Amino acid sequence: MSELVRLSDVTKVYQGGITGALNGVSVTVEKGEFTAIMGPSGSGKSTMLNLIAGLDRPTSGAVIVGGTDLAKLGEAGLARFRRDHVGFVFQFFHLLPNLTALENVLIPAQLKGSEVPGRARELLGQLGIEEVADRYPARLSGGQQQRVAIARALINNPTLLLADEPTGALDTHSGEQVMDLLVQLHGRGQTILLVTHDAKLATRHAARVLSVIDGKVVDDARLEGPERAASEVIRVRTEEASR
Amino acid sequence: MSLKYGVLGLLKGEPLHGYEVKSRFEAMLGGTWEVNIGQIYTTLQRLERDGLVRPAGPRGDRGKLLYELSPQGQKALDQWLGEPDSGPQQLHEDIYVKLLLATRVANGDLQGMLARQKRTYLQRLRDLNRLEERARRDGRLDLARLVRGALLHAEADLKWMDELSSERFGAEGARTE
Repeated sequence: MSELVRLSDVTKVYQGGITGALNGVSVTVEKGEFTAIMGPSGSGKSTMLNLIAGLDRPTSGAVIVGGTDLAKLGEAGLARFRRDHVGFVFQFFHLLPNLTALENVLIPAQLKGSEVPGRARELLGQLGIEEVADRYPARLSGGQQQRVAIARALINNPTLLLADEPTGALDTHSGEQVMDLLVQLHGRGQTILLVTHDAKLATRHAARVLSVIDGKVVDDARLEGPERAASEVIRVRTEEASR
Repeated sequence: MSLKYGVLGLLKGEPLHGYEVKSRFEAMLGGTWEVNIGQIYTTLQRLERDGLVRPAGPRGDRGKLLYELSPQGQKALDQWLGEPDSGPQQLHEDIYVKLLLATRVANGDLQGMLARQKRTYLQRLRDLNRLEERARRDGRLDLARLVRGALLHAEADLKWMDELSSERFGAEGARTE
């Protein structure tokens, strides 16, 4: 595996001391990894994701993605970087209401100057929602909207898929479907960074969990994959009948 | 969990001999506990002494004895099932005592201890997730419910570690005698 993301001593200070600041974060992510960034709200986990996505700039320190130091890019360069290398999935989908599902998926491709309606339909098909291609977001369920958002995130074959609480606005069943999709994408080699406050979700799908507390990465856990026997995981204690 | 009532519950369906009780008990627990056959026989003998089970006929092949639930046993089982679990909360893992000691022992590395423990809980969550998925796949909804309970406990343990490590709750509070 090769290194895809490097944060070196990254600090982010917000005016007025708003929460979400980062304080000297250094971390690397390898290509093909499925990493969860976990922490309570206000811990700085979303800030980390926004910096990696080039949506925000650090106060100090370096953010390097795919060998490119994002600090060296101007605004136009940063927009190009986002368009070509990053797919972003948000908690509240952020679909444009006056465009159909298919048109929403096509936006990043059109910004790049490519017309790929075939690929957009194919993606919607892979995500199991081809039949809603011509509907407007208001006529879609939350789970469908998030799948459209995932298709939009994938249309330009991003190097990195970033997801910030992608199941946060969904019911349990739709949330699980969305997570299953991310797992499938990871299985096909997609590098994924998932921000969540949900430990169950993080440990269920990601093999690596970064814990962020008060703007610092306090733990970097690589979880073991192989299934364990039930008795190694749970012991139900039994007591003999009293004498 | 009491082996006594587990055995009574299994005998409610049909008379069983000791080895059948053991294998059904283990199957019910979905491999989360291996029951010692000696424990089962001891339990059956005590239940018989107390009049809660009785032999269902004479000894059969190789001295095997079938046991069935007596009316008193049925009553005891129903009463037990109807009672809520009370009594003190059981904290039987070492971390509880380690945490108390960490602040008293010289060079007690509380943050390090919390980080290592947290990692263990993350791995536990992952393993429990797998176990729950497996139980559902096998159609064992009862076992999945049990695992779900364990999952929620593990999540709470993890939250506890986070609280203890954060500046708001951190070493300050834990240092208090």
